[in-house]
Amino acid sequence: MIRFIIKGLLRDSHRSILPIIVVSLGVMLTVLMNAWITGVMGDSIEFSAKFSSGHVKIMTRSYAENTAQNPIDLSLSNASELEASLNTEYPDLTWVERITFGGLIDSPDENGETKAQGPALGMGIDLLSENSEEIDRLNIRNSLKRGNFPQNPGEVLISEQFSQKLGVNPGDEITLISSTMYGSMAIANFKVSGTVAFGFAAMDRGAVIADIEDIRLALDMYDATGEILGFFNEGYFDRELADALVMDFNEKYSDPNDEFSPQMVSLTDQGSLSMMVSYAENMTGIIAFIFILVMSIVLWNAGLLSGLRRYGEVGLRLAIGEEKGHIYRSLISESVVIGIIGSTTGTMLGLFFAYILQTKGLDISGMMDDAKIMMPTIMRARITTETYYLGFIPGLFSTVLGTMLSGIGIYKRQTAQLFKELET
Amino acid sequence: MLAFKLAFRNLMGAGLRTWLNVIILSLAFVMIIWFKGMLDGWDREAKMDSIAWEYGGGEYWQKDYDPLDAFTLTESHSKLNRDQLNEIDKGNLIPVLISQGTIYPDGRMQTILIKGIDKNQSFLKLPTARLDTMINEIPAIIGANMAKTNRLEVGDIMTLRWRDVNGTFDANEIQITDIFQTNVPSVDGGQIWIDIDRHREMMLMPDEATILVCNSDFRQDIIYEGWDFKDLDFLLKEIDEIIKTKSIGGSTFYFILLMLAWLAIFDTQVLSIFRRQKEIGTYIAMGMTKRQVVGIFTVEGAMHSILAVFVGSLYGIPLFWQQASKGINFGMDGSEFGITMAETLYPYYTLGLVVTTIIIVVLTTTLVSYLPAKKISKMNPTEALKGKTT
Amino acid sequence: MKKTAIILFILIPILLNAQYPNGKDILDKIDQNMSAKSTIYTSKMIIHGNRGDRTVESKSWIIGDKKAYTEYLNPARERGTKMLKLEDQLWLYSPSTDRTIQIAGHMLRQSVMGSDLSYEDMMDDSKLSDHYSADVIREETIVDRKCWVIEMNATDNTVSYPKRIVWVDIERNVPLKEELYAKGGKLLKKTELYDVKKVSGRWYPMRIVFKDMLKEGEGTEFIVDEIEFNKDIPEAIFSKGSLKK
Repeated sequence: MIRFIIKGLLRDSHRSILPIIVVSLGVMLTVLMNAWITGVMGDSIEFSAKFSSGHVKIMTRSYAENTAQNPIDLSLSNASELEASLNTEYPDLTWVERITFGGLIDSPDENGETKAQGPALGMGIDLLSENSEEIDRLNIRNSLKRGNFPQNPGEVLISEQFSQKLGVNPGDEITLISSTMYGSMAIANFKVSGTVAFGFAAMDRGAVIADIEDIRLALDMYDATGEILGFFNEGYFDRELADALVMDFNEKYSDPNDEFSPQMVSLTDQGSLSMMVSYAENMTGIIAFIFILVMSIVLWNAGLLSGLRRYGEVGLRLAIGEEKGHIYRSLISESVVIGIIGSTTGTMLGLFFAYILQTKGLDISGMMDDAKIMMPTIMRARITTETYYLGFIPGLFSTVLGTMLSGIGIYKRQTAQLFKELET
Repeated sequence: MLAFKLAFRNLMGAGLRTWLNVIILSLAFVMIIWFKGMLDGWDREAKMDSIAWEYGGGEYWQKDYDPLDAFTLTESHSKLNRDQLNEIDKGNLIPVLISQGTIYPDGRMQTILIKGIDKNQSFLKLPTARLDTMINEIPAIIGANMAKTNRLEVGDIMTLRWRDVNGTFDANEIQITDIFQTNVPSVDGGQIWIDIDRHREMMLMPDEATILVCNSDFRQDIIYEGWDFKDLDFLLKEIDEIIKTKSIGGSTFYFILLMLAWLAIFDTQVLSIFRRQKEIGTYIAMGMTKRQVVGIFTVEGAMHSILAVFVGSLYGIPLFWQQASKGINFGMDGSEFGITMAETLYPYYTLGLVVTTIIIVVLTTTLVSYLPAKKISKMNPTEALKGKTT
Repeated sequence: MKKTAIILFILIPILLNAQYPNGKDILDKIDQNMSAKSTIYTSKMIIHGNRGDRTVESKSWIIGDKKAYTEYLNPARERGTKMLKLEDQLWLYSPSTDRTIQIAGHMLRQSVMGSDLSYEDMMDDSKLSDHYSADVIREETIVDRKCWVIEMNATDNTVSYPKRIVWVDIERNVPLKEELYAKGGKLLKKTELYDVKKVSGRWYPMRIVFKDMLKEGEGTEFIVDEIEFNKDIPEAIFSKGSLKK
């Protein structure tokens, strides 16, 4: 039976091609739209996650209370031990250490004396290890303005704007003046390997990006870190998983009576990201719903159309004595086949375009000259498990439903009228 | 005219199919207008809020003032000249004096900005009247987010330490006399507002200011030496940027939605033309030119969009009206993460927006209807009359 | 009768006041006792921080009140760091970076090595009697030592603290306690001086505790291990060139 239907569909392109094209296009758009909305909505959240909050973040209890001041004196000690147990206990996440610090950058003249000074916001991240993901996470590679990426210990990146303010060029040496984890004075020299422009004022004014090991050395933070950020390996924030993780971790490791004991917070506990997450979840839901609704109507319509299109054929089949129920069922089986083929093709096409939009993204930085706000400048789609099956809902069900509704007409037809209809 | 009548009758005759298409198109309509309206509403509101709370009709900045570098504050204040003082007396300018200070709520140290503003001013929304109380401490007002992050309440008293113009330390108690709710983060976080006269006394800076906020109807072409005028375009740039990002993300969304609608109409058109060849043949036999027939079919497709306007307004108008008056609650306060955004947004629908949307949708739908109809001109009329395609 | 009462009433405070010596004279005596032509001392600074206490050892060479040179000896991280003060300028040299950094502007308001003292506090070398009036307001006993309590009010507006109150040991001319006030009268900082010993004919406090009164915390302790007065110090030491040696 199915073979017969498929043969029919293959041989009669009128029966199959147009409906399949319509279904595919519709499904493709639904899939693409879903991925796009999920991506764009998620991006602002992922953006904050990447730059500061992580999907989850571990700090000492007192650090957590004073985060705004970058209190490195409240850093986590024995970081490697903690990180090792994190890696064994929670392997679903990638754990990275970061140190955010404040200080002063001093650029010397030819005699090694102060030429210019400026307040800096520093970030110590894993820049140098071979497979560090931090560089991509912070989109540093694309932000490079002049010079090179740090290759050796002691090399740092500073923001372009800052470099101009200090009169510093790639290759020049600068001195960081800050305080150590224990409150002593910290003075360290770095070589500027290149300059970066992130596109938002908070970082562009006075950012210094250094390898975390250099910062440990400079700030006397042996085996210590300001924060440990955790990122889900799937790459996207999952609220339920994160909440469970936070509970589990704090139960095991956090001691409310010890201000230096580690405490994990989820992305949603930081600032108002929680609002942002619920907002995104709701919006994605609403938009997906509208889309499926619209798509269903479109495909229902397509189903109706195909019923009409084959008015003559059905008449002929009735005339030669085929049972009405049989025709009806065969039409529906056909629509199932069309629905499956169309949805599969559409989903594949949709995934293909979504994939392109996910990897390449839509660069809006050209439209946003010199932004003052911290916002992602590349909008991306995002493929989730949902993306794989979502298209089948309108693609298959609506097509079948459309055929079912239009097929009812078969039962209304009078055999006596058939030949008249055929004659014309 | 005939084309319209025919098109209308044909559409009505098609029944359910027509209405399904119309519903989709109307959804596209309503979504576009709703989304645009929401963004415009946000844009308008955010700008109005920023103007009402902070910028007025623009600001004069003392030439060394840099809002992003607190270190410049020790330099960025000047004595006001007679012209400026006159305008202040007339209520055209509000002087604001900004300096750095430290508050010690519960022994914790917190560096903040002290902003002195005229307690009698009324054109900025800040509740400066609450600075006009006789208490032992310095009356100060703060924003709700500042209150939240520092766990402060009305009536709380804490030490404020500052250094006057000579660098001499001074400290006094301040009392929080009001906590205001605002959507404008730049008048809220990390700062306290006190009376400017008191602030000038504290700083030993008589008649000095850091910025001058212009009254909205104040002529802004006056140049004061040593002061730079920052117009609203400059001050509101941040809001423009956010809205721009959002509208790019949104455009993609409704473009795809529109594409779906076009797909439906395209499909319908292809089918009509396929099924109604006899009809087409008849039209031609009756003496219509092919162009006229293409016209009939194009109008028929395009009429979907006209119907969609009516259907859309059936549920769209009550929806828009309800939202524009009651607002949309997003359950979040953008000012907490540094974006000027109210918890409740009031979408703002303009006639221009509605008309442009209608024109765009009608034109594109016409185009989509025309493409399949074009096929008619390639038909052989006699064959068409027989009901066979070539 | 009534008249005499009134006269007495007016006279008594004046008479009482007359019992107190002139505040400026006492300040001069402190100067005579404590300031020398030159001073060389090694000291420890104990800083109470979030992560326990830290001790920083240093040796300083001082001529008059305009020139000072300090070399940090311990802990290892700080060893070799040098600070040079000439008039109102301050330079810092760190051996690990081989850089001479001028500390100016906002840097001056930062804390020195995490202590309750800022560079600015350290830089403050002006003679108290040049900027303050000084009046003895009462007599008080601190840890068995009789003291004059001197209230000093700024006579110009160039100083950080417009009012200071000092408790000076009447017999030894050594301050035992000092309070620094804000213009509005609020107590900002407190210094207490202990272990007064006689060193080459001068009474000198060997332990000083600084405390920022607005902040929570235990403050910073300063302990003098060795001190010598009026030794010859080569002028060359007070130059930027000497920092790198």
